[in-house]
Amino acid sequence: MIEFKDVCVSYASGWQALHNLNLTVEKGEFAFIVGPTGAGKSTLLKLIYRDEKPTQGTIRVSDQNLNEMRLRDIPFLRRKIGVVYQDFGLLPNKTVYENVAFALQVIGAARSTIRKQVPHVLELVAMGHRPDSFPNQLSGGEQQRVAIARALVNDPPILLADEPTGNLDPETSMGIIQLLNHIHVRGTTVLVATHDHAIVDMMQRRVLAFERGKLVRDELVGAYRSAEFEEPRP
Amino acid sequence: MKLHSLIFLIGEAGRNIRRNGLMSLAALGTVTVALTVLGGSLWTTFRLNEFARLQPERFNRIDLFLPATSDRSVADALQKRIEKLPNVKNVELVPKEEAWKLIQQQEPTLTQALETNPLPDKLEVELEDPTQVSSLAQQFRDHKAFSQVEKVVDAGEEVRTLVNFARIIKIVGGGLSIGLFVATLFIIHNTIRLTVFARRREVRIMQMVGATPGFIRLPLLLEGLFHGTIGGIIAGVLVLLCGREVSLFVTSLKSPLVGNQASLLSPAQIFVLITLMGACLGVVGSFLAIRRFVRQI
Repeated sequence: MIEFKDVCVSYASGWQALHNLNLTVEKGEFAFIVGPTGAGKSTLLKLIYRDEKPTQGTIRVSDQNLNEMRLRDIPFLRRKIGVVYQDFGLLPNKTVYENVAFALQVIGAARSTIRKQVPHVLELVAMGHRPDSFPNQLSGGEQQRVAIARALVNDPPILLADEPTGNLDPETSMGIIQLLNHIHVRGTTVLVATHDHAIVDMMQRRVLAFERGKLVRDELVGAYRSAEFEEPRP
Repeated sequence: MKLHSLIFLIGEAGRNIRRNGLMSLAALGTVTVALTVLGGSLWTTFRLNEFARLQPERFNRIDLFLPATSDRSVADALQKRIEKLPNVKNVELVPKEEAWKLIQQQEPTLTQALETNPLPDKLEVELEDPTQVSSLAQQFRDHKAFSQVEKVVDAGEEVRTLVNFARIIKIVGGGLSIGLFVATLFIIHNTIRLTVFARRREVRIMQMVGATPGFIRLPLLLEGLFHGTIGGIIAGVLVLLCGREVSLFVTSLKSPLVGNQASLLSPAQIFVLITLMGACLGVVGSFLAIRRFVRQI
């Protein structure tokens, strides 16, 4: 489903965000991407939804070669990928319902589809009881649930979450991860970039550990740290 | 594009204008002021140009006086000869009897003392091109070529000044209008860029959920069109009101230079022109402003 072959990302300043990355994520997998700030976690996610382009190497998502993808085809790729951010990315002047419906409206979905899909997905993330609330009337956890609902409303086969619990307390974070797991069980491929040790250790899923742009560990069932992966000593 | 998508986009543009009320008001105010200055300047230049263009035509004539003793047949022959000259539009013979009758009516006391008509026959030569008045008058002053002509009267110097004035107005006014047009486009572009910048988060979300660039652009273009059109309508009204006041003031001066010149453009046409200009500038300005944001897909 997602394949990276010899992928490098470097910037004009000389900074190398990703270095010779080879990685495959199969359909229906759940994986954590871990590592310190600047390790290349977010860059990896941005490459998948074509927000960035690799300097070298090949990326394939759902059998599409992103290197050869034309600009006008990018929106159609993004309709197959839901993205959740640390800062939720909700529109403050739209209600919960409108925020979620917005994702369908901008891709030209029929009104009947919107009327059917939005309440369904809000129920899925346990926000069906507050469709008319505005984001500033919700807690952080609730806002993140709405953001997840928006990412899911189009029923994408891939869900990417970039530090989805970064702004949340541990209890709420656990709830969000349980929700992502629930979505994964329904058949969606889920990739979560996180700093949260407790969640990774508890879930016991595939772990992709990055350090200074390099994939230093890939364990099918792993924790945030392992005996083989240690912080560099001064 | 599907109909329900179009309805959504138009609704979205309307909601954005309403929800970002203060920003919309600021954009509308700026566009209105810029268009009023541009429209006012264009209108002033246009009227000045029209005025300057019409003035030389008032002096577009050379009067040729023949000797008082000259025979009518000489005047007739000269009239026919001059009519064949290039750049001559019309030659009118004013017989001395007719002129005398007119003076007698206008100045009865003065003419009573005179027993005979002292006036000569006169030829009024009207030209095609007012700039040629001086050179043609010079030809008539050549006694070898036009020995029948005793006196030549033209408004050479005045015409030269007016023609130069018209030319300066055309160049300066044209340059100023182009400069103001570019400045207005820049102001509108910058204003709309600010409104787009304020909504960069929304644009980003639209991009992330898979909206096509066209879908993202359309509501922003509609907003630009709205700001430009409404700004143009208000500016059009302001320019017409100010223009009417200025016209009334100029007419009240009762200057001999100010005549009843029929404008080539009616007030309705000026209004439509400024409104259309506003609409076009609004769309072009917003297109340029959003191009940068939407291109970063």
